[in-house]
Amino acid sequence: MTDRYAMYIDTSKCMACRGCQVACKQWNDLQGYVPGVRETVNTGTYENPLKLDPQTWTRIKFREYDDGERFQWLFLKEGCMHCAEAVCVDVCPTKALKHGPHGIVTYERELCNGCGYCGQFCPFQVPQLEVLNRLTGEAKSSKCVFCQDRTTNGLKPACVKTCPASALDWGDRDAMLDKAKARAELLKTEWGFPKANVYGEAQLGGLGRIYVLTAPPSAYDLPETPSYPATATLWQKILQPVGHLAFGAAIVASITAFFLARRNVHMEEVE
Amino acid sequence: MSVRLKDSKSVFQIRWIPKYTTLERFLHWMHTASFIPLALTGIVLFSPWLQSVAQSEGGSTVRLVHRVAAIFFGGVPILYAVLQPRRLVLHVREFLKFSKYDLLWLKAAVPYYLLGRHSAMPPQPRFNTGERLNAVVMVVGTITFGITGLAMWFGRGDMPQTLYQIMVIFHDLAFIVTVSMFMIHFYLAVIHPLMWQSLVSMRYGVVSESYAREHHAMWYFGDKRAKEMWEKHKAEEEEHQPAEQEG
Amino acid sequence: MTNHWVDIKNADVIMMNGSNAAENHPASMTWIHKAREDRKAKLIVVDPRVTRSAAKADLYVPIRSGTDLAFFGGLFKYILDNELYHDEYVVHFTNAANLINADYKGPDELDGLFSGFSDDDGDGFGRYDRATWGYQVDAEGKALRDETLQDPNCVLQIMRRHYAGYDLDSVSSITGCPKETLEAAFALYASTGAPDKVGTILYAMGQTQHTVGSQNVRAMGMLQLLLGNVGRPGGGVNALRGESNVQGSTDMGLLAHLVTAYMPVTTSADPDLATYLENKTKPGGAWSGGYWTNGPKFFTSLLKAWWGEHATADNSFAYDYLPKVESAANHYWIPLFEAMYAGKVKGMWIMGQNPAVAGPNARFEREALLQLDWMVIQELFQTETVAFWQAPGLNPADVKTEVFCLPAADGMEKEGSIVTSGRLIQWRPKVAAAVGESLADHDILHLVALKLKELYQADPGPFPDPILHLTWDFGGGPTHPVVGELLDINKVAREINGFAVEDQLDDKGVVLAKKGDMLSTFARLTNDGKTACGCWVFTGYFAPASDGDGNTMPASKRRGQKDPSGLGLYPYWGFAWPLNRRIVYNRCSADANGKPWPGGRELIWWDAAADSGTKDADGKLILGKWVGNDVPDFVVTRAPDAAGGRDAFIMRTDGKGGLFAAMNEGPLPAHYEPVESPTTNLLYPDRPVNPTIKVWKTNEGQGVGDNWGTPDKFPIVATTYRVCEHWQAGGMSRWLEWLVEAQPDMFIEMSEELAAEKGIKSGDKAKVRSARGEIQAVAIVTKRFKPFTVNGKTVHQVGMPWHFGWGGGTGVQALAIGDAANDLTPHVGDANTMIPEYKAFLVDLEKA
Repeated sequence: MTDRYAMYIDTSKCMACRGCQVACKQWNDLQGYVPGVRETVNTGTYENPLKLDPQTWTRIKFREYDDGERFQWLFLKEGCMHCAEAVCVDVCPTKALKHGPHGIVTYERELCNGCGYCGQFCPFQVPQLEVLNRLTGEAKSSKCVFCQDRTTNGLKPACVKTCPASALDWGDRDAMLDKAKARAELLKTEWGFPKANVYGEAQLGGLGRIYVLTAPPSAYDLPETPSYPATATLWQKILQPVGHLAFGAAIVASITAFFLARRNVHMEEVE
Repeated sequence: MSVRLKDSKSVFQIRWIPKYTTLERFLHWMHTASFIPLALTGIVLFSPWLQSVAQSEGGSTVRLVHRVAAIFFGGVPILYAVLQPRRLVLHVREFLKFSKYDLLWLKAAVPYYLLGRHSAMPPQPRFNTGERLNAVVMVVGTITFGITGLAMWFGRGDMPQTLYQIMVIFHDLAFIVTVSMFMIHFYLAVIHPLMWQSLVSMRYGVVSESYAREHHAMWYFGDKRAKEMWEKHKAEEEEHQPAEQEG
Repeated sequence: MTNHWVDIKNADVIMMNGSNAAENHPASMTWIHKAREDRKAKLIVVDPRVTRSAAKADLYVPIRSGTDLAFFGGLFKYILDNELYHDEYVVHFTNAANLINADYKGPDELDGLFSGFSDDDGDGFGRYDRATWGYQVDAEGKALRDETLQDPNCVLQIMRRHYAGYDLDSVSSITGCPKETLEAAFALYASTGAPDKVGTILYAMGQTQHTVGSQNVRAMGMLQLLLGNVGRPGGGVNALRGESNVQGSTDMGLLAHLVTAYMPVTTSADPDLATYLENKTKPGGAWSGGYWTNGPKFFTSLLKAWWGEHATADNSFAYDYLPKVESAANHYWIPLFEAMYAGKVKGMWIMGQNPAVAGPNARFEREALLQLDWMVIQELFQTETVAFWQAPGLNPADVKTEVFCLPAADGMEKEGSIVTSGRLIQWRPKVAAAVGESLADHDILHLVALKLKELYQADPGPFPDPILHLTWDFGGGPTHPVVGELLDINKVAREINGFAVEDQLDDKGVVLAKKGDMLSTFARLTNDGKTACGCWVFTGYFAPASDGDGNTMPASKRRGQKDPSGLGLYPYWGFAWPLNRRIVYNRCSADANGKPWPGGRELIWWDAAADSGTKDADGKLILGKWVGNDVPDFVVTRAPDAAGGRDAFIMRTDGKGGLFAAMNEGPLPAHYEPVESPTTNLLYPDRPVNPTIKVWKTNEGQGVGDNWGTPDKFPIVATTYRVCEHWQAGGMSRWLEWLVEAQPDMFIEMSEELAAEKGIKSGDKAKVRSARGEIQAVAIVTKRFKPFTVNGKTVHQVGMPWHFGWGGGTGVQALAIGDAANDLTPHVGDANTMIPEYKAFLVDLEKA
């Protein structure tokens, strides 16, 4: 995609103010703490909510990391990675999830039928299923859509606009990638972060989020080598076609057999 | 094994032999009535070509129908076990008995069903090889559907992602195998001319005596006698003598 | 701030001390990051724990709460020993060269005291007679100076002796910070003493909320003077204010000892105007030298603003209408609540504050509130103070206070100006409608004022004039459906800005300002009643000015984005008082001869060839003026080598930056421990604590009272702080679902070592006790706190946010409720300002 955009996230500048978390909720009309409905408690960390959920499309992870050289309090803005090879798009039976403009993995809530495959196959466990009725299975998926209503109108996502530390940016993916690499290099050579690295360049065909990290991805509980699940490949690329073939073959075999049998089976011999 | 009917004066009347109990038939149809909606709704989610049906409220309804049907589908073995547990055990034992005659059936299936060569078919018990294979496939399929389906329905989020994905894979596999099997079953049971009585038997529970003798000889004559007849027939065939059909 | 927010990007080294700017002033991080990216600047964060700011630091310096003066003392010693101070700057712009009275003695000689101390009742606390702290003067009263800085009585040498004991070992032992880290921090920050380098200090409550808070700030001021960082881009002494308009509130005199614009409140020592002015302008008085000699003009103009036509030369401009307090210090927060507890305060009018949660020794203060006959509170939500009779442990039937709650409008729901930490005044429009009958605070006051006038008109009593004659021509605002006409904020702004009461003419008869016109500079204020001005430092903020793009509007409404110098001054955006000067004391941005210091960042300089705009007696053009990128903070035509050409600090009587400057506890900062300390004072064992603070002992020993904890019972050092997600006492954040979700509970942060000792895991509830109360909080066990080794022993420290309270009771209860940290804090404050010592006290804790 030549006009692919990406979100640049510089964790070395982020100070975890949660402005992005709140801006996202404000723009997308999502809920926070609602007594009796959605309550969070402090479990011994500043981190809250502890996972993405149907009302939380981005959040900050807090990790204390000590590699013996330097203690770091790491902050990571989590959300949909908008992968180039998005598993969720491939397994979605309704095309509610699609590759949209600028490489955004868009989501149309009206089309979603709540099957939940997206969240179960995502290597980052991003899409969150909002179960409206456990028994009937009525549900809708939810995830960050890079503020598709803003970004398709020339604006930046709400989180990027809000960030007071200028740790976030939004623009042409190649430009964001160059910016990230330059920043990681600077962190390594001048700011004393020998493990600084860029995350998102090539994973899953290239992520829509380009992270500048100051520690290895595992320190942030990011998968070191996220990959397109083999089960999804098996399902989409093998089982689906094989299944269609099998049904087709069974039908064709039956029809063929019928005509053959009609010719060869003499009913007068049948009781 | 012929039954003397009350009004048995006529020498031209077809003699009917009970083959399936009421419960067997009822459960078969309950199974069918739930399997078909399950398969149809399942294929909506499975096939990308049907994606427009899978979308929005329609899609949610499809998923709901799938779950409602699943309850009935899963109810079949449960009902059987509750109502006639001993029969169920016997029934299962019947399904699982395989012998060399089943291999012979497989060899004979094409000449018999496609080319109409009656003499090719070896003797069969109450359920022939194909029927027993179908049953095994269905039972394994039902168990697979049950486990994977329940996991996908109630277990999402409570199990590791990879396990859930494997559940989906096996649900798919069971779907492909059972639906393919169903298509063949449907063809043979409903459409194939030679097998027209199978529908009768599943509706009324009986087959005619001559049908029983031809298609389920081991059941009609008893294992020993049927095998003797078969061996004798095979030996005569080798001497190129046409086998006599008992009328 | 002497500088401003954007200016941080110009620094070479940024030191955050007593500030968690990333947490509480997140927008500052953009500028800090810019300095690091563009100039390779370094960030030092000094804090007892790794905060969200320290997580971004190049150098993190852990020190025990309450030991900043030891840290700064060590830094001073390092700078002096290694001659790292900015020599020329120090000589010319500070009083380093001034000679001090030969009888002066410091704590290095007097075991923790300065000369002149008297303790009448022998309780260890007293006051100073400052006679021995003065300069040695010549016959004309001018200070004697040794610009070689060698004379043993000169300030610099006194400082050497004073800080000699603050060696690395001692400082490390007091602060608990490893020596290598201290040395690295000292070396890095002292590097800004080079003439081409500038460092900035960012500080906040971590410095001020101590019994030595004023001295902490003094130390920062001294540090920046020593290193030549004041008045230069990227430098300065920068207080990060804790509310969006607290700067405005202090500018407008909402502190007990001031009227507006930093002019002292009238006291019983000033029975009439002449005495008031005389007391200030006489030698040694606050207005005796420097720019404050204009004080009488500002004060008179203030009186004229308040009483208009009723303030004339004949009645001393209505001076008698002003109340006189016996002592301003009695009306600071802590003494106020002590008096309230004793039943001396009948009523309290609260605007947007939550003392039930925010006050020190909050249980004591809540009981003080019970003594009120009436309370009026303007608030957005039903906070713990609004419904204080529902506090846990209180029986509402026992509460006799009559409480009136006036629903107030939020900041977005009213029009007006606010002042940022950087003295920048920005006018803001109203962007949302207030809920129900909520009114802006200024509208509430307007209605109250009108009603008061009405009542006094009907029933004058003995002396109604101050009320009846009070200027209140602010009507004409929007009409409210329930209360009717509201005030017109523009009229208030005009009065604050200042205007000509009569036509102003220059000495040639040219009209400078017509009657009624707003003034654009306080230089035009007079003391003859011909000008009126509500707040002289603001003059110009509402007068018309250009936004750099051809539009003219009230200065504080401008949003011009031109930045001609590239230094981030943005002179067309808003209005920075005074006079749109963005960096104050900017005379110091040039050397003794008026040439900018090296290193880029030229701010102002002396242009000897420029037309000064005046002619001499012979009609010849006088050449020479200060020019540059900012409004010079100096007489524009005064040459660097003229008399006073190097007196950069125009608000001080002698124009020199005060390295040596008298405050209640001394002329130089000396380390004293917090009132509740885990250890003795290593440097001055006989003087553990600031000897000039006031210590109350109300109800000492009883359940609720001024109780003091000792390390045997309370061995752990505690501090309180804020988090990004919440706001002050929680009145504006604990009712908001998005913020509460992110930070739902009261917590206490502790080291893994302390948690292991107490058997506490992260997420467990902990019981925390001080001598004044007990609370519960969720434990956050973290690597970010580490035990300190203080004086050879392990001392643990913990920290808590003070945002939480029980929620305000039935009605619209807060979404986030929890125990108030201030139930633990002590009711004692700084010796000069009484700001409470929220930041260092003692506790003990256990698993709940």
